[in-house]
Amino acid sequence: MLTSDLIRTLLPGLLLLPIAAGVALRFLDGQKARMAALSFAIAQLLLTIVIVAGGMFEVQDTAGLEALTNIREKRSGPVFAPRCVPGDPMTNGKQTFTTKFDVMPFSSGHPKIKAAQFFIGIDGLNIWLIGLAGVMLLPVVLLSWDTVTDRLGAYYSWLFLLQAGVTGAFLSFDLLFFYVCFELTLVPLLFLIGGWGPGPNRRDAARKLFLYTLAGGLMTLVGLAGTVLYVYDRTGELTFSIPKLAELIDVNMKRADEAGQASWQNAQMYLFLAMAFGFMVKIPLVPFHSWLPGAYSEAPPGVTVMLSALLAKMGTFGLLRICLPLAPDATLSVGMPLLGFLGAFGIVYGAMCAYMQTDFRRLVAYSSISHLGFCALAIVSFNSFGISGSVLHMVNHGLSTGAMFVLVGMLTRRYASSQIADFSGIWLKLPMLTFFMIFIALATVGLPGLNNFVSEVLMMGGLIDMRNTKVTGIVFAAVAGFGIFLSAWYTLTMIRTAFFGPLKEPQAAVGEVKDLTGRERFAIGPLALLCLLLGVMAQPVLDVMKRDSDRLAQVADDARLRVK
Amino acid sequence: MFEPSNLLLAVPALPLLGALLCVAFGSVKELRKWAHVPAVLCAALSCAAALTVVSNIGEADVHFPQDRTGEPISWFSVATATTKLSADFGLEADQLSGIMLIGITFIGTWIVVFSIGYMHGSPGYPRFFAAVSLFLASMTLLVLADNFLLMFAGWEGVGLCSYLLVGYWHDKPSAAAAARKAFLVTRLGDVGLLLGSFLLWQMAGRNSFNYQFIFEKAAEMVNAHPYLFPAACLLVFSGAVGKSAQFPLYVWLPDAMEGPTPVSALIHAATMVTAGVYLLARCAALFTLCPAVQATVAVIGAFTAILAAYIALTQNDLKRVLAYSTVSQLGFMFLALGCAGPVVPSFAVTAAVFHLFTHAFFKAVLFLSAGSVMHAMHDEIDMRLFSGLRKKLPVTHLAFLCGAAALAGLPLLSGFWSKDMILESALEAGESKRFGTLYYLLFGVAITTAAMTAFYTFRAYFRTFWGPLKMPEGAHPHETWVMNIPLLVLAIGALAVGIVAEPFTHWFSHFLGHAKTLVQADAGRVAEHHLNWPLMIGSGAVALLGIGVAWAMYAGNSQSADNLAKNLKTPYYASLNKLYVDEIYNVLIVQPFLMIAGFCKLCEAIVYDLVRLVAMVPRFLADLIRPLQNGLVQFYALSMAMGLAAIVGYLVLVAK
Repeated sequence: MLTSDLIRTLLPGLLLLPIAAGVALRFLDGQKARMAALSFAIAQLLLTIVIVAGGMFEVQDTAGLEALTNIREKRSGPVFAPRCVPGDPMTNGKQTFTTKFDVMPFSSGHPKIKAAQFFIGIDGLNIWLIGLAGVMLLPVVLLSWDTVTDRLGAYYSWLFLLQAGVTGAFLSFDLLFFYVCFELTLVPLLFLIGGWGPGPNRRDAARKLFLYTLAGGLMTLVGLAGTVLYVYDRTGELTFSIPKLAELIDVNMKRADEAGQASWQNAQMYLFLAMAFGFMVKIPLVPFHSWLPGAYSEAPPGVTVMLSALLAKMGTFGLLRICLPLAPDATLSVGMPLLGFLGAFGIVYGAMCAYMQTDFRRLVAYSSISHLGFCALAIVSFNSFGISGSVLHMVNHGLSTGAMFVLVGMLTRRYASSQIADFSGIWLKLPMLTFFMIFIALATVGLPGLNNFVSEVLMMGGLIDMRNTKVTGIVFAAVAGFGIFLSAWYTLTMIRTAFFGPLKEPQAAVGEVKDLTGRERFAIGPLALLCLLLGVMAQPVLDVMKRDSDRLAQVADDARLRVK
Repeated sequence: MFEPSNLLLAVPALPLLGALLCVAFGSVKELRKWAHVPAVLCAALSCAAALTVVSNIGEADVHFPQDRTGEPISWFSVATATTKLSADFGLEADQLSGIMLIGITFIGTWIVVFSIGYMHGSPGYPRFFAAVSLFLASMTLLVLADNFLLMFAGWEGVGLCSYLLVGYWHDKPSAAAAARKAFLVTRLGDVGLLLGSFLLWQMAGRNSFNYQFIFEKAAEMVNAHPYLFPAACLLVFSGAVGKSAQFPLYVWLPDAMEGPTPVSALIHAATMVTAGVYLLARCAALFTLCPAVQATVAVIGAFTAILAAYIALTQNDLKRVLAYSTVSQLGFMFLALGCAGPVVPSFAVTAAVFHLFTHAFFKAVLFLSAGSVMHAMHDEIDMRLFSGLRKKLPVTHLAFLCGAAALAGLPLLSGFWSKDMILESALEAGESKRFGTLYYLLFGVAITTAAMTAFYTFRAYFRTFWGPLKMPEGAHPHETWVMNIPLLVLAIGALAVGIVAEPFTHWFSHFLGHAKTLVQADAGRVAEHHLNWPLMIGSGAVALLGIGVAWAMYAGNSQSADNLAKNLKTPYYASLNKLYVDEIYNVLIVQPFLMIAGFCKLCEAIVYDLVRLVAMVPRFLADLIRPLQNGLVQFYALSMAMGLAAIVGYLVLVAK
């Protein structure tokens, strides 16, 4: 109970700290800004560690949830149960998994018309993503140390605001708050890419990213509003709370007669498409990806790490948190074939494009499309294996692809080129960087013992176990397996070209080229260690998310009975 | 502490520890040249542990964790009410894994000892021993795992180590290319294996990857899924095809020669390529239920055997001759595996595993002596550049001769006995009703291949060690005890292990026949053990014939061989250029792949421009309308007046 209270108190800190850092850093510049950013990042990491470490046990403690079990409906607790919610009204000293922090009331005291709330909490699905967000900030700051040189205060300020936005989206259990955080990340991104990108096309890339994802996001807004209003129309309750909405849909879909179910399913289909659109752009799924290569390669290296490790996860996480529970029937009838196809297509297409790239950053960018296609595919398989696998894969992909971009950033900082063909035999020159590069590359290609293997196996299980009459999961699994092979193909080809063979290096960017500095080792070392750790000991991570992913899968099983 | 189950854990754990210690030694400058110490010690201890475990197998299978009723040690696991996807860390040593363990750890240890001398003074010395130790750890894990997923972990670990070791000389472009090729080609098969395992998991009720669990459901599965089950078997087989270098995925193995020679010995003899044979032997209970799949296995095996033997006939690179002979011998093993079903499975599988076992000895000794030659010849391995070395390298010569004679199948040596069992399996399979003729044909192929094997092996032997003394520049022939002792130990093994283990006592087949998977596959049938004298005399004669032809052509000068090559230009060049398989793959597979990738890139460009086009629409529309807002008050007034006139006119004239 003590930890629960502690976390409840600290949880808003995850948002307030980066916002405070963002404001404070405005007024600093030069080395001071760097040191301050580093301190803030360390503070954020420590706070995250405390919250995740304590939260692990809170999330696994299902005693409070059993009280909410509804025997008649054969339901084991609510779909989403945010623990440690700040502002929980608490009945008899027990959590109610709700909050009293109203932000925007829509009526004065009407019991069925609820307000939009500041509703954050942790559960099995978001706790590891919060951990990921906390972990990735430090390498980003360390990588930015010598890759960004002007207007440091403003740069770090935007970076921390971006962090606040992402963390908010992960923590949020209120639809409006989620959407606000989801879209607010665009503003820092626009300035970061447009202002500090190294290339000449940065403005263009930033604008494209902004317009693209904003357009997608607006569609999502339409879907979200539509869902809220539809639920209001059917049940008389107006609420923005995601747990409440999921609950209402779950219960009322079950209770509805056949005609009621049919009309609801029909509405869900359109709402699902609208909601999923923004997420499909954000992930991105082919063919909505054309903002990504530009944005990833034009952004400053640190921001690219943020983009790939965290921002892309907002898309997959959005699918999981919003589309699946709020439109379960449509996920099965529309989401699985449509997103499944786009995901499977993207796996192969992204891999093929990655192979053809001549630039390090674009190669990793396309590989990211390929990996996240797999992730989206597993999410819409909508069963325990797929869901837990994809949540784990979000974390794993964040770590390994983030680390890959960190390494690429370190390499391109040293040389005046980022063309793969300009490099050869870098192993001879930079053995430690090469060691980490090969290590991370092996993690991304799914070598057992490293992190991606565990999540890929689980996702594969999810695909094989699809149990959907309209789609054969085996074909998807075969495509995904082929994608794993392709990822080894392009990654090892890049490694062979640039790191093996006799030494050939492009012109140095500044001064003499040396191997990793102490600071850089500190940036990449922990990421590599986490890749190993998650590959060997993934079970605690899976145990923590078990209750929530199983409950979501149960929603799917109920929906499977309804969808013909 | 020294319980069998703990020792079982020690078998893979010790080499892993050795690898970590090698890395630790490598990070301290003074200790770098001592990096072999932990590798050798851990390999030897692991071997000792393995032997102890194997001596305990007879009574009961050895497990880790010992208590099988308790919760398994889970690597990762997700369970629902009715289904479970879990990778458990469970080890199990039965007779089959026991045999594999002896081969891996015993031969592995001697190869590591040999490497001390061979790798002396090369850069990255600790890296080599770390990777070799990890190799042994992965391989032992592979054969000890009691479920598909953990086995797959070892399987991929082996692939990783081969990548690191083949690419050991990373600044050499050919080594870099070979390393990538080895990893990618085997990975293609690995994906099949993973999918196959998942299909088996699904058909067995989505509950466990455990071998025993799945095998027990084999009969149910084949009834319920008459097409999916053979498909799953074929997918598992594709994994074996990749790892064990069978057609069409054998192309990585000859290129893997780019690694240091002890690595070749390790890959070809004790580890890596044996994995596929082990896997099929392990899954005999599944494969025997699908006769068509078994026929495919046998055909691929026999085809690979003769294809590789044909290529080996003309290679000039000593190590390449040996590499193709490995591919060919593995083909023999797969032929035997494919006979299980028509023949009593325990007999056919024993034949394959026995050949695997004897082959491990004589191939190790052949590669190590080739390494010794290479070491002495200043890293030169082209047989055209040296000859007559028997006086200069007496121990190497003796060892190579033992290995070559065993490989050629000279009567009474180990290769003879095991090859004989394979031939007998194929012959007996020919009597079966279904695919009978096919198996007779395969027997013919096998016996032809046996003659070719004897020929190319002794061709290499005579060209290297006989004839006038010739050495490349910079060569300084020498032998050291640290390299000689492993050679002699393994040479003795190559000579004797066959006759001791099988033909008169049948110790080997009795021991292996008790493995659960084989007992299940046998389904009550009993293997008859007898000495098939006509076949033995025949195969012995074939071997002698091959050796005789090689002696006639190469023992003195090789004038007659050159003449023959001139007369048979087309087949000679086809063989010399490896039947152009790499080129054919390039045209049939790599190029289309690149074309698809290029097409995807083109699509990217098109999508990019399309997006541009869409983005231009608003600007274009704006450009159409913008002239209206020109800031001229008169124009605004005029348009107002005209608009008003138009509306009034409409109201007055039209809308009455």
